[in-house]
Amino acid sequence: MRRIIRRRELVADDAHYTGEQAGPDTRTVQPAAQFIAALGSGQASASGAAVVIGPMDEVEALAPHLALLTLIVVDFPKIGEGRGYSQARLLRQRYRYGGELRARGAITRDQLFFLARCGFDSFDLDPGENLQAALGALDAFSVAYQDGSDELVHVRRRAGPA
Amino acid sequence: MYRYDQIDQTLVNERVAQFRDQTRRFLAGELSEDEFRPLRLRNGLYIQRYAPMLRVSIPYGLLSTRQLRMLAHIARTYDRSYGHFTTRQNIQYNWPALERVPDILADLASVEMHAIQTSGNCIRNITADHLAGVAPDEIADPRPYCEIIRQWATLNPEFSYLPRKFKIAVTASPADRAAVEIHDVGVRLKRGPNAQIGFEILAGGGLGRTPILGKLIRSFLPQADLLAYLEAILRVYNRHGRRDNIHKARIKILVRTLGAEEFTRQVEQEFEASREFAPRLDARDVARMRGFFAPPPYQQLNDSSPEIGSVSSGTPTFDAWLRYNTRRHKVAGYRVVLVSLKKHGEAPGDISADQMDALAQLADRVSFGMVRATHDQNLVLADVPQSALREVWHELDRLGLATANIGTLTDMICCPGLDFCSLANAGSIDVAKQIHARFDDLDYLYDLGPIEIKMSGCMNACGHHHIGHIGILGVDKHGKEWYQITIGGASSGPAALGEVIGPSVPKDQVSDTIARLLEVYVRERRGDDERFVDAVRRIGIEPFQERVYETNHSPA
Repeated sequence: MRRIIRRRELVADDAHYTGEQAGPDTRTVQPAAQFIAALGSGQASASGAAVVIGPMDEVEALAPHLALLTLIVVDFPKIGEGRGYSQARLLRQRYRYGGELRARGAITRDQLFFLARCGFDSFDLDPGENLQAALGALDAFSVAYQDGSDELVHVRRRAGPA
Repeated sequence: MYRYDQIDQTLVNERVAQFRDQTRRFLAGELSEDEFRPLRLRNGLYIQRYAPMLRVSIPYGLLSTRQLRMLAHIARTYDRSYGHFTTRQNIQYNWPALERVPDILADLASVEMHAIQTSGNCIRNITADHLAGVAPDEIADPRPYCEIIRQWATLNPEFSYLPRKFKIAVTASPADRAAVEIHDVGVRLKRGPNAQIGFEILAGGGLGRTPILGKLIRSFLPQADLLAYLEAILRVYNRHGRRDNIHKARIKILVRTLGAEEFTRQVEQEFEASREFAPRLDARDVARMRGFFAPPPYQQLNDSSPEIGSVSSGTPTFDAWLRYNTRRHKVAGYRVVLVSLKKHGEAPGDISADQMDALAQLADRVSFGMVRATHDQNLVLADVPQSALREVWHELDRLGLATANIGTLTDMICCPGLDFCSLANAGSIDVAKQIHARFDDLDYLYDLGPIEIKMSGCMNACGHHHIGHIGILGVDKHGKEWYQITIGGASSGPAALGEVIGPSVPKDQVSDTIARLLEVYVRERRGDDERFVDAVRRIGIEPFQERVYETNHSPA
């Protein structure tokens, strides 16, 4: 069974994706485009849905529907993929998405600090990663120069109001 | 200069610990080469031809003598007792052992230095005018803004995995000694209608295999919006820059594809839409930062009379050094001294550990304990009393750092080339030596006036060959080293990309080819004041082509 990090704890993965078998306690995560198309065609969608977006997906398309979502998974298909960081920041700061935001894919502990600062609060890491060590990497730095979504680090306060 | 507080120091210390662990995991086989590569690169560590190469960050080129001594110590302890200054005002070491790099970083951290983001697909070292704060022609000191940008860029969570590297340069002078037009983003300080400081912003410049000059995208940006606007540019680039092809991934390709107008529209839209959460600079933040760059305690002095360089001192070599290797200073009685790292027989930009230590001692004595690195691979003592110039010349001459060739043909920019770099197609250091040997007559160089030769060993263009008055690009032809020559490039005033004169030439004919170019220039120049590059602009490249490629010529 896959395990993930959620809000600084190791827990069983609660998601299954297209092409995967549903587990006893898993929820379906559908591609965002499919979710939006279903809404458009009038198929009722209960709130509490979960979607996954890829690097090419525009968060703007998802923005009007955020109230229906409790989980957004952002996929990082390749090492070095960086679009997800901006997607997260926009979802959290521009569109005020308050649900769970999960990073998934070719990511290791080395990216966790940055991901968390951009607003991710759960992580489905590269299968080879040591999750216990990864938990520690969330605290790789105790200071930062930029405001972030976390409240974990001591940020250089500028003199004036933000 | 900027001094670390508890936050800055903690950050670099924690970065050392993080990199130490990453190196350990790689050596233990827990990280694959593919996984380790982006991690080591963003800490300036390349795996090179013979050994790793470590690039150390020197923010906007500014060093205290304490830091310079540490660079000497590192050269001695972990390397072969020398370092190489780069075109990003950084220093690199060519022979460190991978497993000792974490210890080097710990040593650097002890003097408020690091190697963060000196390579990799992230925001690189911020460069600036090497005469910042002392140039008579500047609008204001650009360094406080450089440091503000440096902090914002350092471990920036959103912009740490960009499509490609990202370089920002800042200038505050019309002479633009920072070459802002060839940067991903160029920032020019400017005064607004009420004399308030703001910025002109250029984007989409860069060299490499597709050289493009930056486009003006904002003619006046208020000071408070500097970081917010940079964030808007970076976000548009991070989201929409190409990631499918490394050769098309720089922001210049995005700007060119969208067109400057559409790119600007997208940036402005992003900027407006982010006002609520984007960082804003308060005037007090800037004032606080400016305090770090307050002028040193200058003495009340008068300028030498008669003016420096206007009469012979009786020592021609000293006079030549004064003329070529010193510059006006904005404070009366002081002079800027350029320390030449372009001595015949040495690789351009190289300096030994002993030279670094001796230079630190000299700077402590005559230049308030500060040294600067320039983007053309020389060093600067920025605040030398005019009365100390002869003593400084003597000492630099003793150290082999007083070659009076700044701005002349042999003040070449040169990348490490095939001798060290695994990307290079051809050598550059030995071509530099060939040129030095051919043009070793300083009087001839002085007659030629200012000429910038810039040389790269491959089309990544670390040696900025496109903007050399004479550019030399190493290419590989069936396993042999050949060189493509361009002329008419310039880094400023206005910046221009050189034109290729024709087929590349074999290695042993590079200096002959340059000699022919100079022959045409000397024949065609109008008066003594017309520079080589101005003559090329006026008459075009054809007369030069004719001479270089004419058949049945006897060697020039």
